[in-house]
Amino acid sequence: MAVAKGSAPQSGEPSKRGDRRRQLVLTLSRVWAWAFLGLLIAFFVITVPLSSNGSVNFLTVRNSQNILMAIVSVLLLGLGQTFVIITAGIDLSVGHMMSLASVVSALVLREVFNAGVPLFPAVAIGLLAALATAALVGFLQGSIIARLKVPAFIVTLGGGFVLRGVALLMSDNSTVIGLPPGVRDYGNESLMYFIPGDSGGLYFFNRPEVSGELVRSMDRILPYPVIIAAIVVILMAFLLRRTAFGRHTYAIGGNQEAALRAGIPVDRHLIQLYMLSASTAAVAGFLSTLRFTAGSAVIGDPLLMSSIAAVIIGGVSLAGGAGSIIGTVIGALIVAVLTTGLVMLNVQAFWQFIVIGIVIIVAVLIDQSRDLIVSRMRSGA
Amino acid sequence: MFKKSLLILVSIVMILSLAPATLSAQGDPIVIGFLPGVVDPFYQVMELGVNAAAEDMGVQIITQIPQTWGVEVQTPILDAMIARGDLDYLIIAPTDKDQMIGPLEAALDAGIQVITVDTFLGDGDYVNGPVTFPISYIGSDNVEGGRIAARGLAAAIGGTGKVYINSTNPNVSSVEGRAVGFNEVMANEYPDIEVVGLDFNLDDPARATEQTAAVIAREPDLAGVFGTNVFSAQGAGQAVIQAGLGGQVQVVAYDATQLAIENLRAGVVSLVLAQKPFDMGYMAVQFAVAHAAGVTSLPKRVQTGFAIIDINNVDDPAIARFIYQVP
Repeated sequence: MAVAKGSAPQSGEPSKRGDRRRQLVLTLSRVWAWAFLGLLIAFFVITVPLSSNGSVNFLTVRNSQNILMAIVSVLLLGLGQTFVIITAGIDLSVGHMMSLASVVSALVLREVFNAGVPLFPAVAIGLLAALATAALVGFLQGSIIARLKVPAFIVTLGGGFVLRGVALLMSDNSTVIGLPPGVRDYGNESLMYFIPGDSGGLYFFNRPEVSGELVRSMDRILPYPVIIAAIVVILMAFLLRRTAFGRHTYAIGGNQEAALRAGIPVDRHLIQLYMLSASTAAVAGFLSTLRFTAGSAVIGDPLLMSSIAAVIIGGVSLAGGAGSIIGTVIGALIVAVLTTGLVMLNVQAFWQFIVIGIVIIVAVLIDQSRDLIVSRMRSGA
Repeated sequence: MFKKSLLILVSIVMILSLAPATLSAQGDPIVIGFLPGVVDPFYQVMELGVNAAAEDMGVQIITQIPQTWGVEVQTPILDAMIARGDLDYLIIAPTDKDQMIGPLEAALDAGIQVITVDTFLGDGDYVNGPVTFPISYIGSDNVEGGRIAARGLAAAIGGTGKVYINSTNPNVSSVEGRAVGFNEVMANEYPDIEVVGLDFNLDDPARATEQTAAVIAREPDLAGVFGTNVFSAQGAGQAVIQAGLGGQVQVVAYDATQLAIENLRAGVVSLVLAQKPFDMGYMAVQFAVAHAAGVTSLPKRVQTGFAIIDINNVDDPAIARFIYQVP
């Protein structure tokens, strides 16, 4: 989006002051999301103990793990979306894709397990079924967008409705239950357990068999869903930053015509992007099946807007061409820190919407002033 | 740039993870968390009951009301409430009878005793059922409520014709029980009444209106609608009014909101089932206080009953006091 087409470079030497101000805006645009997250954490670290006379603290091991657990779904929905929005597209179907994946993985997992397959392979087959469904959904939506040139907004809006209907049909309008009991462990157990004190210690993989006060003081460190989400984050960051696939994504977002002329197979690439977006949503759905030990046709619906908010706060430009995976992680963290912090302050959690709304607008404003300055610098001095 | 940001991110996570845990001091007053299902008049009245009991008994309440219904909305709030570290008890309306078991077991692990109100976990039998850890389930007998609704609607339509159910979400114990009781009575006692459908509006009154309007269009001879809660009844009533069929399509409304009572007076709604959310909230706090004092014979199930409101008794003060009054 060319912002400053008409603005001619200023005549004469730009003043030192203006230079410095521009530099400030540029620096701010790079670090402001980090800074905001830091400020937010600092704010809650100070206010939460004050508001509760010291009986509640924000910076605890348990709370940090909660925040990590709370970002898993929103983050996974946002990861694929980051790629899509970098190409100036949008995928409004990710929430319903998550629901469908939750139902599919629960049904497949249950049937495969009941047919005599051991638990771990059954869980893995459930994940594969969810991913296969996502690949099909992404292929269909991507094909309509890329080959038939229907706007992504329309295709994924309509596609989302279809997915919701299919999910409700498959789940017979209810929650898919009857999963093997061990499934709950995959979704709720952690890599490490820590019990402070003499009788405590650090335990790996298996939850220590303790009871009473010891359980109460036990911290779970790195729950399995967080580890899986972290692996997906690293894969996606690598894909976007270090591969031809990532470079093509930026190229298409920067200028689709130019990308086409440079020999990038734009249509095929777009189809792959929508498959990718559906797939990260499918991982979110699969993990929710493990966590809640059931498949649900309505589970992803409320998360769509938060996930898009995370992507935009993280600095992905809706106009395409700019954005990063780390940015989306920060965006998701901001959303989760806000929710958790407000609950700990005993402020109604819906205040987060007001804050997030303002933050989104500020994020885009900062983004635009950066574009303005960059284009002035290029055309001017 | 990529490496640097990754490094910073990892260090933030580490700091968050390894910051010294400050042991939370266990203060003297009992701290009770209250986490209902969604913002609506039913739960707002329940909150009044919770607060009234808290004042009477000198306990501290931490209230969070989710803005939308769903386990993905309720669970992060629940986790944050657990992470406060100062809760002794939690009064919760689980948004799914199966999916919320895991997250609430985590609350129990953190030393928080659970009381469920309005909705239950598992099959609601905390003595012999699959889930037994909550102290008690305090709520209406929803299957019986569904039966009452069915008999009321059958009487209003003269025992014959087509009826339709609008509900909120699948696998929620409260509204599921109401539909079960309703269908059971219609099948066993009223052979001339046909139940033509059940839709879920996902706690959105606008969607409930659309769905009911569509059924009215599909079934021109529809005689009655059962709205299984606040949002369902609101949408069902609205659709009947929009179609200009007030009085011809009878509506039975679960939950005595002001709107349901207006519709009752306007002749659109023939019967309103008032639950007793104030009682649920008040008693749940009482139970927590009693449990903390060492009382061990608290009933695992308390049925709070109904007030059945129709046009003849709506002005009777003994009945009208059960209409949901939200400040």
